[in-house]
Amino acid sequence: MRMVGAKVRRVEDRRILTGNGHYVDDLQLPRMVHAAFLRSPIAHGRITHLDVADALALPGVHAVYTGADMQELCKPIRSPLAQGAVPEVFPLVTDTVRFVGDLVAMVVADSRYLAEDAVGMIDVEYDQLPVVIDYETALDPSVPPLFADLESNVIHTATKEAGDVDAAFAEADRVIEVEFSQHRIANVPIETRGLVADYDRGSGELTVHAATQSPQGLRLQLAQTLDQPMDRLRVLTQDVGGAFGLKGNIFREDFCVPIASRQLGRPVKWIEDRNEHLMASGHAREERITAQVAVTEAGDILGLKAALDMDAGAYPGLPFSAVAFTGVISLLMPGPYKIKGYRCDSRVVATNKATYVAYRGPWAMETWTRERLIDMVATELGLDPAEVRRRNLFEGAPEDRLITGPTLAGITTRECLDKALERIDYAGFRKEQEAARAEGRYLGIGMAAFIENAPGPKEMRPGGGFTGGETAKVRLEMDGRLTVITAQSPHGQGHETTLAQLAADEMGVPFDSVRVVHGDTRLTPFNIIGTGGSRAATWGSGATMVATRKLREKVLAIAAGQLEIDPADLQIVDGVVSPKGVPGKDIPLARLAGQMTLMPQTAPPGTDPNLMAEERFTGEETTGSGWSGGVHACIVEVDLGTGGVRINRWVVVEDCGRIINPAIVDGQIRGGVAQGIGQVLYERIPYDAEGTFMAGTFMDYLLPTSAEIPAIEIVHIEAPDDDGVGFRGVGEGGMIVAPATLTNAISDALAPFGAKVTEQYLPPSEVLRLAGVVPAGA
Amino acid sequence: MKPAAFEHHAAGSVEEAVSLLAELADEDVKVLAGGQSLVPLLALRLASVGHLVDVNGVAELTSISNGDGLRFGAVVRHRQVERSPEVAAANPLLAAAVRRIGHTAIRNRGTIGGTVAHADPAAEIPAVLALLDGSVEVRGVDGTRSIAAAELFDGYFTTTLEPEELLTSVHVPALPAGTGWSVQQFSRRSGDYGIVTVLATLARDGDGRISAARVAYAGVDAVPLRSSVAETALVGQTASPELWTAVGHDAAAVLEPSSDLNGSAEYRRHLAATLTARALQQASERAGGRA
Amino acid sequence: MSERTVQVTVNGVPHEASVEARRTLTDFIREDLRLTGTHVGCEHGVCGACTVLLDGEAVRACLLLAVQVDGREIRTIEGLATGEQLHPLQEALRDCHSFQCGFCTPGFVMTAVALLEEGATPNEEELREELSGNLCRCTGYQSIVAGVAEAVQRVNGSGGTAGSSVGSDAQRVEEISR
Repeated sequence: MRMVGAKVRRVEDRRILTGNGHYVDDLQLPRMVHAAFLRSPIAHGRITHLDVADALALPGVHAVYTGADMQELCKPIRSPLAQGAVPEVFPLVTDTVRFVGDLVAMVVADSRYLAEDAVGMIDVEYDQLPVVIDYETALDPSVPPLFADLESNVIHTATKEAGDVDAAFAEADRVIEVEFSQHRIANVPIETRGLVADYDRGSGELTVHAATQSPQGLRLQLAQTLDQPMDRLRVLTQDVGGAFGLKGNIFREDFCVPIASRQLGRPVKWIEDRNEHLMASGHAREERITAQVAVTEAGDILGLKAALDMDAGAYPGLPFSAVAFTGVISLLMPGPYKIKGYRCDSRVVATNKATYVAYRGPWAMETWTRERLIDMVATELGLDPAEVRRRNLFEGAPEDRLITGPTLAGITTRECLDKALERIDYAGFRKEQEAARAEGRYLGIGMAAFIENAPGPKEMRPGGGFTGGETAKVRLEMDGRLTVITAQSPHGQGHETTLAQLAADEMGVPFDSVRVVHGDTRLTPFNIIGTGGSRAATWGSGATMVATRKLREKVLAIAAGQLEIDPADLQIVDGVVSPKGVPGKDIPLARLAGQMTLMPQTAPPGTDPNLMAEERFTGEETTGSGWSGGVHACIVEVDLGTGGVRINRWVVVEDCGRIINPAIVDGQIRGGVAQGIGQVLYERIPYDAEGTFMAGTFMDYLLPTSAEIPAIEIVHIEAPDDDGVGFRGVGEGGMIVAPATLTNAISDALAPFGAKVTEQYLPPSEVLRLAGVVPAGA
Repeated sequence: MKPAAFEHHAAGSVEEAVSLLAELADEDVKVLAGGQSLVPLLALRLASVGHLVDVNGVAELTSISNGDGLRFGAVVRHRQVERSPEVAAANPLLAAAVRRIGHTAIRNRGTIGGTVAHADPAAEIPAVLALLDGSVEVRGVDGTRSIAAAELFDGYFTTTLEPEELLTSVHVPALPAGTGWSVQQFSRRSGDYGIVTVLATLARDGDGRISAARVAYAGVDAVPLRSSVAETALVGQTASPELWTAVGHDAAAVLEPSSDLNGSAEYRRHLAATLTARALQQASERAGGRA
Repeated sequence: MSERTVQVTVNGVPHEASVEARRTLTDFIREDLRLTGTHVGCEHGVCGACTVLLDGEAVRACLLLAVQVDGREIRTIEGLATGEQLHPLQEALRDCHSFQCGFCTPGFVMTAVALLEEGATPNEEELREELSGNLCRCTGYQSIVAGVAEAVQRVNGSGGTAGSSVGSDAQRVEEISR
């Protein structure tokens, strides 16, 4: 039975449903001690006094480290992928705190309770410095930079221009200008960050157990900063309780904890608590775009100019800083639409806030801006937003290209749009909306389209793109079972299931006899990203497939030699090699593998008895357009009495090529949509004008619950099975397009009031302000 | 996020609890009931205590009695109230209000006495007490006294209990027969404290005129509030949607809520007006049904 | 700091341990009893990941002190399956692909077990309300709601809402002007 395409039950579920998962906080090692951090209560200040003597004297406290210690114990942190202006930074601050939650000192004690007691006994005083909280202050050249070794708080600028933007604007009947602002939010996995570092004084080996998306990325960075030999540095990751981009980053605590373990010669555990997490783990998405769109009266979009500002927070992200994502935003902003001229100017600024981190579709500002703009164009011109989209969408014809370069041949956005509108009964809804308005009820519909290069067309990724593809290893065990070693590092995506489905089909073994291994840098191939960027479906799958195919060839060659027939006449079914159509000549894989492992000298001439294959997948075998994408549509009702927004329906039509496991794909989409809904209606990281952080608990930072998230209807546009790697990434799409879909629907509901939705955060009070029910300044 | 150290004293009786409170009065002592609000404050180290006097094991504080209204021992759990057929029959408004507290797991531990003593201005039960002129009984080493709701709440998270007094029971007067009621709450998510909560009762005379009305708010001030503006404006009037809207508007106009992350003062006033009108409408319908 | 001896039965097994008064039940279960199936998501009573059954009722273990469970009975996610045989709820959740990362899972499972054992047969809206005290960041909840609904049907039958404790909460929905 073919496993790919089937709704196979997940391998992971038995252990997580019985409480037998292994998350980093579950680890208890002999002699393990616990770390806690003293964090800055102010946004910006110079430390004038720091005395740890009382803390150190508390019984049960083993060590207290400060920035001065770190300068002795490690090198300044340098990302191998640094972009933009990068200051010299140590794991703990050496003289200046730069955001609320910045790391001042670390205590290591017998228990977390004691460590926190000791943190409270550290005596510290600060001289407050002026804060940089908003874009204007950050852009002001007269304001001193947050880091003395940087010239400015503007850490990066770039311009991307394509087509003839001046001509496009000159040709236009109208130019519509809008300032869009997307608020700061956070990834907030239910498992916070955390690690256990275990330095062995005998071997000099440092083992780090971490909740990370990228064990190899973490290992590489630790080697640099800690000057730890890489043959004595191992990162292990088992179950990870969600990440959404956050845990692809490496944080300053990740250096402190191993340093302490190395100094003390015993395991040190630090598990971030929820308050630390919300305050200091990392925040995402705080961006603004001033956009100008040039249009004709008929609704043709001719040109787009965008000026992007991104708030990167205080410290550069590791390994990817905010700067890395401006390029993706400017690349993808025109989306699946035809335009003639385009320019995007980007600036990234440093502020006294927590560090920018990637969050599921970190470039999503481009989709929100574009799709909101299209609705505003429709409103301004008195046209239907669906018609404006249809008018400007590419067909996916061979010659279609994003104005910024890549081919869009084969994209299905138009089909997705038609199907979404049909499924949600767009025409019927418009009638219902009109009738409801007559009764004083405000319904709205929103739609939005996106495309994502997951992995993108081949021309965008020669040689396998910037990672050079991905490698997997596959081994046939002596009992005929198959071990797949992946460079992916799953944290909820179910790769132990999907990669096993692929390997089972490729090899011809039962699904249950495949084990997928990940998260051990001694075994797993290098991959700087691990799992992230919607890469697994293509790169993780492709690597597994090509490695398994290679192994299958080895096996068939051996069997062919033993049976003295052509390998092409052999098949492997249910773990048994046999000549096609010839009964009685079966060779079970267990027998073959046992023989080759115990007696490799019996291998037929010219065959390789080493039943292991390691292959790098560089993407040549991919099929289809390379673009993941789709259209979402939703219907909302706004209650003008409360400002509450009720989502009545949510329809997704998406195209991620071939589907490995439909249940997993649907789960990725729904999870992404739920986060997008949270982003618009519930979640915001608030700072006041002094840089005080104001959402330190789950009472202040509101994650949506089962009662707020609607049922989400999904329609797939699935590519046929073509024996290639036709799977495309689906992890980020839901999150990328959901905010645009929802804000468009709310805007539509509030159309009778002339509401212009330009701020993405729409809590009830803001909804009523937009409706003119509650005054501004609310 | 771990609490600072404290001593825990499991009290076996009211008398023991009261004497512990008196004995430890100078050493930062606090009563631990359901702990659903206190324990988070301790974990975040926003509150610290030297001693906790745990009254969860005090059997005499765990019963519900029904006579002159309902009387709840201080450690009666919300869930117990929610499931009580006696409460549902005698005071459906209270039953509805208690179901709005948090989630099941919170209501399984949270106590009636605890929520009243904690005096969160957005909490439901204090507002019920304000609405129905309830009271609490408190015990100190010198004896017992009763405090009326109007005298009990003294500001944000503050009551007029003395530090060494233990709240022992909560008295919720009965809803008079034929009284319609409503609990209207708007929260951003299921189970959250309401941004604004409005409670209303309404009764009509034989001519259909409103003979009695009560309106109370949570979430609009430091303490739960009764609306004399609404109550005065309603009595003697004939029920109508226009009346509800007008009364809601007028009652909300005199409120002075504060602003926070969930909304501005202006937003809260609007919400209060909306929910007042909806509460009155529903209470009126229910009064009609029961008359 | 004085320590106190706590005697508690967890998943049918009696335990005795000496704990500090401030030790939370979550830390006691996870670190002292080494039952790490119960997870810690917020430590302030909002996320629900640490939900366990205390004498049969769902409670947040992070809002209880270990000293408070002396003499009581606790059930955790480790206590549901019988050997290799999953509990019908676990089967249903697996069949419905209910979870992704698994971190919120113990809380949802224990909340749902309590619901099942009450004999509840909630409709979807009631079920979403009942599960709303547990946060999940991966799934968008639909698969969890479906999994619990499936378990309800398998265990309690689809007898509508009459007579169930959740069903009797029907008017609660009416009160919610969200």
